[in-house]
Amino acid sequence: MTGGERRILHTDGVSVSFGGVRALVDVDLDVHESQLVGLIGPNGAGKTTFIDAITGFVRCRGHIELDGHDLSSLPPHARAQLGLARTWQSIELFDDLTVRENLAVASHRQSVWAAVRETVSRPLASTTAMDETLALLGLEPLAEVLAIELSQANRKLVGVARALAAGPRLLCLDEPAAGLDSRERAELGRRLRSVVDAGTPTLLVDHDMGLVLSVCDHVVVLDFGKVIAHGPPSAVRRDSKVITAYLGSAAAELTDPSLESADEESRAGASEEP
Amino acid sequence: MKLVLLFALLGLGTGALIAGIALGVVLTYRGSGIINLATGAVAMVAGYAFWSLKTGFFGFQLGTLPALAITLVVATGVGALMEVGAFRPLRTASPLAKLAASLGILLTAQAAMLLGFGTTVKAAPPILPSSAVAVVGLTVPVDRFILAGAVIVIAVGLAALYRWSRFGLATRAASENEVAAMLVGLSPNQLSMVNTLLASLVAGLMGVLAASLVQLNSTTLPLQIVPALAAALFARFTSFGIACAAGLLIGIAQSLMYYASTQSWFPTDQGNPLPGIQQLLVFLIIIIAMFWRGASLPGRGELVERRLPSVPLPERLLRSAVIAGVVCVVALIVFPYDFRQALITSLIGAIIVMSFVVITGYVGQISVVQLALSGVAGFTLSHLVTDAGIGFPLGPIIAVAVTTLLGVLVAVSALRVRGVSLAVVTLAAALAMEQFIFVNSTWGGGSGGSPAPSPHLFGVNLGPTASFRGLDGDQPSAVFGFLVLAVTLALGVYVANLRRTSLGRRMIAVRANERAAAAAGVHVRNVKLIAFGLSSFVAGVAGTLYAYNFGSISATRFSALTALGLIAFAYIGGITMVSGAVLAGLISTEALFPHAFDKWFGISGNWALLVGGLALIITLRVHPEGIAGANYQRKQRRRAAGRGSRLKAWSSRWRAEEPTATSEVKP
Ligand SMILES: Nc1ncnc2c1ncn2[C@@H]1O[C@H](COP(=O)(O)OP(=O)(O)O)[C@@H](O)[C@H]1O
Ligand SMILES: [Mg+2]
Repeated sequence: MTGGERRILHTDGVSVSFGGVRALVDVDLDVHESQLVGLIGPNGAGKTTFIDAITGFVRCRGHIELDGHDLSSLPPHARAQLGLARTWQSIELFDDLTVRENLAVASHRQSVWAAVRETVSRPLASTTAMDETLALLGLEPLAEVLAIELSQANRKLVGVARALAAGPRLLCLDEPAAGLDSRERAELGRRLRSVVDAGTPTLLVDHDMGLVLSVCDHVVVLDFGKVIAHGPPSAVRRDSKVITAYLGSAAAELTDPSLESADEESRAGASEEP
Repeated sequence: MKLVLLFALLGLGTGALIAGIALGVVLTYRGSGIINLATGAVAMVAGYAFWSLKTGFFGFQLGTLPALAITLVVATGVGALMEVGAFRPLRTASPLAKLAASLGILLTAQAAMLLGFGTTVKAAPPILPSSAVAVVGLTVPVDRFILAGAVIVIAVGLAALYRWSRFGLATRAASENEVAAMLVGLSPNQLSMVNTLLASLVAGLMGVLAASLVQLNSTTLPLQIVPALAAALFARFTSFGIACAAGLLIGIAQSLMYYASTQSWFPTDQGNPLPGIQQLLVFLIIIIAMFWRGASLPGRGELVERRLPSVPLPERLLRSAVIAGVVCVVALIVFPYDFRQALITSLIGAIIVMSFVVITGYVGQISVVQLALSGVAGFTLSHLVTDAGIGFPLGPIIAVAVTTLLGVLVAVSALRVRGVSLAVVTLAAALAMEQFIFVNSTWGGGSGGSPAPSPHLFGVNLGPTASFRGLDGDQPSAVFGFLVLAVTLALGVYVANLRRTSLGRRMIAVRANERAAAAAGVHVRNVKLIAFGLSSFVAGVAGTLYAYNFGSISATRFSALTALGLIAFAYIGGITMVSGAVLAGLISTEALFPHAFDKWFGISGNWALLVGGLALIITLRVHPEGIAGANYQRKQRRRAAGRGSRLKAWSSRWRAEEPTATSEVKP
């Protein structure tokens, strides 16, 4: 749907093997400006490995380009500084820093000299960009709370906020909805949509199709490390290969994926009555 | 050539001791994932126990067999105490906390032996036959072969036990995956206990058997843990056979090194063979082991909450600094000379602990070598004055710069080594520097120490001999106190403020999670290098002050054991905060608190060490954040009441999604 817009992420033939296991086989995936791209697949399909590969945490073959820069040979922190931000499946916050400080670590661009100079420089005041990120995800009231004190759902959100704080060119989220209940998932979906609409293209990984099919513009389906389908949610939903890959409980869900979120909202409303 | 063989065979004695301790280390690691620094101390306690029972120290004399039996019971009892008192309560603590606990045990045991038996070396009663056998024309004492044979038999026995018994299978299963092991009904607590008891038994037995060869010495025996750790590293903390063989070989290598030092071609230091070669050898062996076997220890699938002490933001920093400054100025003037000296020593102690705050508190790397870096600064300063005539202020500036550079160099080579492995390497490095550089009379201070004349600036004496000496008019001068105080305050404010800077946040991000920090754009390597540089800078400053403080500088002040003690005090005070460093400075050796206790109640410094070791274990169990951290948390809790209600209001809004709507519905 957004073929004419600028290509932010472009991968070409990305392959990863762990010993004998071929975790990714020639994956081509593009993310365009103002797109929310979903990457789904059953457990073990290679979704996390794909994020690890593009962010530089596993060695891979193939070509990776971010906004025209070739990333293939850069270390993780250099990729991050070029604007590639990510979260982890297990949340990895800096527990001893406050929410605001967690964001401040990420929003920082540095050289060696700047780092030396900073050993004496004044503490960084809160920047407006950071406040905007907090506001976008509804986290302002938690800004001064230590990360370790947060609830699970909020930790997920802070993980997203931290990735966003650097003002990335591309945001990669690895199962941000895992461990949340269905209401929190729907809320997260809404927040992510607003993040993308505010100008940050996003790659959203999940193993559960409900969330991805309801909020994404474009969906890529992985199975055993290979792309088995891609296209707009409506097409992917009906793809027979996808239904086979997800056979079982997920197949039933596929027959009417829109029902779930609508159902959630009505129940949410109902429980509100005193 | 024959002599070479003879010395190689003689080395089997210490080799057996090292191998026995290494077997204990491996056992404890496999049983509970703890690197028990106190394993050598167990051998020492057993050695002293046997000596006392045999020589009638307690008023009665026993024969060899009953004494040995009771000694082994004592060693096992020490093991049980360690397990119940320290290891079990810390089961889910971070590996570093466990390592620190074993350090507490080491210090306690050492202090107890010093208090009980004094510092003089005891000649342990021989337990093995003193006859000799002829080997290819050489006369070799038979005890060497018995010792080596014993430790080999033990290693084979342990390997068989682990391979074929149900207990061994269970331990292996639990170290693969503790959760799964618990699900099938194995108790990690029991397994850990049995392994610790076995480890104590082995270390104790070898301690008794080998003591007659190496003599009873409460300084050197616990430090046999360092070569034993080298052997255990070769074994990847897993294989009993390799640990045993490596231990024996290290003993042989040390003995051959000793033989070499008797040769005319061996480098000398003022007529004597170069000191510290054996410690240097062990350090190099550890480096080789790390490269060869990998720097990271085999992981364990255990239930661990890897929570480190938190790093609170400093509050009202300048106010605290001003108050502390005023109090100290007054104290420096009115205190009698001995308390003035103790206060100055406390301040310098606080500075050296601040270097731990940076590297361990902020960045989470235990580096034992920081005190040795202080020593480098001190000796550099001394040699600049005596050999090159470069005095104050250029001398200390060069000394600190050299130290900082050296610290960064150490860091560059240790970048891939982290956590517990880093503690092991830096411990070996600290020991090697102490024995090889500081004891050397050309490079270091020799036995008498190396002079450091008082600093003068524009003809004004700023050192301990300056003319303004406080109310009682005795040395050390209050002027020197003011100098030390100014430096302490400046560095304290600087290190505390670092926590608030962007660099400080990145340090804590690296400590929390290197992977996530890199993903957030943090250059982990640079942050670590800068942290090592800063920490070494601070340590270097402390070293130059130590040199001026006593007018001369010697190796004992910078010994590896002193460094371990300082780390213990740092944990007790609170290793993540400057206020903790100040507390640590006040309770460290020869500082204000121990001095007051000694003077008023006649409680000697060794009691302070004993209490310090125990306090470290208690701190780790009760207040992992140290005294300063616990104090901070109490304040926080009082404040949290207000914030808690605000938080609750907010989370209900998250649930309701439409806060205004709910509030309208309510009435
Ligand atoms: N570090 C690793 N070593 C070996 N195999 C791995 C590693 N990481 C992932 N794998 C394998 O690669 C495949 C893809 O895993 P992953 O990317 O985590 O899947 P997903 O995130 O889609 O659930 C799996 O078969 C997994 O076992
Ligand atoms: Mg995954």
